[in-house]
Amino acid sequence: MAYDTSVTPDAVADLSAREMRRSVMSRWGLRAGVVIGWLAFIGVWYVFSGAVLGTQQLPPPHTVAAEAWQVVTGDGFGATLWASLLRVIVGCTLALSASIVLGMVIAYSAWWRGLLGVLTRFFVSIPTVALAILALILFGVSGLGPMLTAALVATPYVMSSVAQGLTGVDRRLIVMSESFGRTRSQIITGVLLPSSVLAVIGGARQAFALAWRITLLTEVFASSDGVGFQIRRSFESYDVRGLLAWTALFIGLMFIFENFVFRQLERRAFGGAHVSQATAESTQ
Amino acid sequence: MSYAADLPTAPEFSQASGTPQSAPAQAVHWTRKPWFINALAVAILLVVWQYLYSVNERVPSIDEVVSFLGVELGGGSHGGVSRGEFWGPLSISLQRYVIGLAIGVPVGGLLGLLIGGSRRFRSVLNDTVLVLLVLPSVVWAFAASLWFGIGSTAPVVAVVLTAVPFMAVNLSSGIRGLDPGLALMSDAFRVPRLRRATHLLVGGALSNAVTGVRLAFMTSWNSLLIVEWFGTASGVGWRAKHWYDAQRFEGFVAWILLFVVFITLLDWLVLRRLEHRSTRWQQQPTLTFAEGEVT
Amino acid sequence: MATILIENLTKVYPPTPTYPQQVQALGGVSMSVTGNVFVAVLGPSGSGKTTLLNIVAGVEEPTAGAVRVVQDGVPAQVGYVFQEPRLLPWRSVLDNMLYVQNRKSDRSKREAEFYLSMVGLSDVAHLYPAQLSAGMQQRVGIARAFLVNPDVLLMDEPFSHMDALTGRSLRDYLQRIWAHTRKTALFVTHDVGEAVELADRILMLRPGGVVFDDIPVNLQRPRRPDDAAVRAVETEVLRRFDSMEAAVRFGDQRN
Repeated sequence: MAYDTSVTPDAVADLSAREMRRSVMSRWGLRAGVVIGWLAFIGVWYVFSGAVLGTQQLPPPHTVAAEAWQVVTGDGFGATLWASLLRVIVGCTLALSASIVLGMVIAYSAWWRGLLGVLTRFFVSIPTVALAILALILFGVSGLGPMLTAALVATPYVMSSVAQGLTGVDRRLIVMSESFGRTRSQIITGVLLPSSVLAVIGGARQAFALAWRITLLTEVFASSDGVGFQIRRSFESYDVRGLLAWTALFIGLMFIFENFVFRQLERRAFGGAHVSQATAESTQ
Repeated sequence: MSYAADLPTAPEFSQASGTPQSAPAQAVHWTRKPWFINALAVAILLVVWQYLYSVNERVPSIDEVVSFLGVELGGGSHGGVSRGEFWGPLSISLQRYVIGLAIGVPVGGLLGLLIGGSRRFRSVLNDTVLVLLVLPSVVWAFAASLWFGIGSTAPVVAVVLTAVPFMAVNLSSGIRGLDPGLALMSDAFRVPRLRRATHLLVGGALSNAVTGVRLAFMTSWNSLLIVEWFGTASGVGWRAKHWYDAQRFEGFVAWILLFVVFITLLDWLVLRRLEHRSTRWQQQPTLTFAEGEVT
Repeated sequence: MATILIENLTKVYPPTPTYPQQVQALGGVSMSVTGNVFVAVLGPSGSGKTTLLNIVAGVEEPTAGAVRVVQDGVPAQVGYVFQEPRLLPWRSVLDNMLYVQNRKSDRSKREAEFYLSMVGLSDVAHLYPAQLSAGMQQRVGIARAFLVNPDVLLMDEPFSHMDALTGRSLRDYLQRIWAHTRKTALFVTHDVGEAVELADRILMLRPGGVVFDDIPVNLQRPRRPDDAAVRAVETEVLRRFDSMEAAVRFGDQRN
């Protein structure tokens, strides 16, 4: 900046200290709000557990936490988790690779967009529970059902967000590249791919969230291991404690993936996208 | 040939609504017409079905399912053992669905208004709503049927609990996405609170609200089916399970088709129209004349 | 008669996560404007012009100091034209006009249509803002500000996003409509030519939000940007602008 805007005479320093206190206080106020929100959540849980549904029907938070701890430290937790996680990862990978291909096809061909649009609408309107049971009919009780169902359900969503990422590429960058005589493949690697990396990561994140839910649901019906199977077993033995403990673990896992894996990935790719765009321009 | 010209101008895949955006009808080749593409899609699905039937003996054939549908819808006899039932289970499920949504959508909408409109409410309520959103519907379904038994309470509760977070999250993100400059403009002109709520908040977040309603409708239908499958002795979900348990897979598949028809009709006849109306202002073509031509 | 009285107005923004330094937008501005005058507030980026307008409009709180905007002893009605049009995209042009109109009557709609015709937009009242060009949208913004029958008119670089030709035709619209109403006006700009063309008085701000100079412009109206008299004043203002830059650069804290 050409000018120094932080000229601060003493009188103003006082005033700014006051503004500062106000803004810090409001920030702490919001943090306190989050704490209050969680306390209220737990409080409501206790009230429902103690006074409305009964501790048998709805065990209080500390009982569920203890149960969750027992599950985590007990035998077979790693195996159960791994069984589900493997299905999610394979399902996700299938969905993502199919989506990238189909997303490109959709983005550049109106005819395919029309056809895949109709098919997509059909699959999206099948209730996932019906898909889970269809998987049971087709594959019996096996690990294959959850995996393929997850891929099938996730693909339409991820595909359309990849396609949107591709069509959302700044056309001016393409025109710019053409004006500098770049070839088609240079434009694809230099502009299109870097610009759509974020969309693909967004798609992966979406695929992951969807795949978890569908895998879980399909495991409820058509599996003899995994988190979904454990949830079903708890349900069939009227074990609300186990049901909630597994659910809490599931939510915790989702939180970890969302905040640590995908956010990191996004941060890294965002930097990468800028770097490769810059090189695409400077190759001239 | 410019590469940029190859890129489609309409970026919204979801708004392509299954048919290619077409100009005057006579200019379009017949392979690009909507009826052809729709027919092709149906044909593909039927071929896949036929293939699955030929490789897997548990998969019912197309005509088995069709004739089953005829009996179930017409109330005829299923091989002398039991009679077809359609309207009975459907009306029970619809009742639960409508009651649940009538509670869940307004409650979720109110939550969304609070979270979107006030930073304080947002800090307090946001995490809870997100936890509700992440919870798989099967957990709601199981918990509700363990708490409330096999009556109609469990499905209604499951529908409510599924609808609320979808509504809340969509509406609040719509409100928070509003341009803060518009709020400042309203401040500067001293626009009264009520008009501001109806024109600024509702006007701006309407399309998100409608999307929220649509998602709430779709996902809570799924929750309803799960509860009915596991925890009730009536309704369409129970009926589908009934045939599944009887190893009559043609009956099960027939009901799945009915579910698809139901949700598709709902989507096309009601929800998409609502969505289209609420986003009409984004779809108008821009005037092409130059500045100053209209005076 | 409208009066804007500003005393020792100071505004300091605390650091934020995106900009970790505190910023002094206004450092003790005092001024008074009375009657049917058009005042241009001229200054480079960072001289607190927009903050000044927002505080006068009552949409931002000052850190210290006082602002009184009164019309015959009661709080004045303010009309604001923003840098961007700021129209509700989901309402038609006419509905956007009616949105800000607080005294509803059966004449409301006709008044809105009158001001739209003043900016040459009678034919597009039923269209959505996105269907109009940027210049046309800004004309709706101008018509909207006049519609509330303001005692004080605030304008924040309304033409800075326009190309030069559009800006020029919009300045003509503004001159015409202002001559019709002659409201007390506060017009923020960083464009010296624009200030001289439109204003009766130019208030020059320097970075840090301090008044550097207060220049009367006594020229006939209507003015054209290429009039010799306008050019002469412009040269004079530019000269003072240069001396301000020099003063800022060489560390002279107060003029």
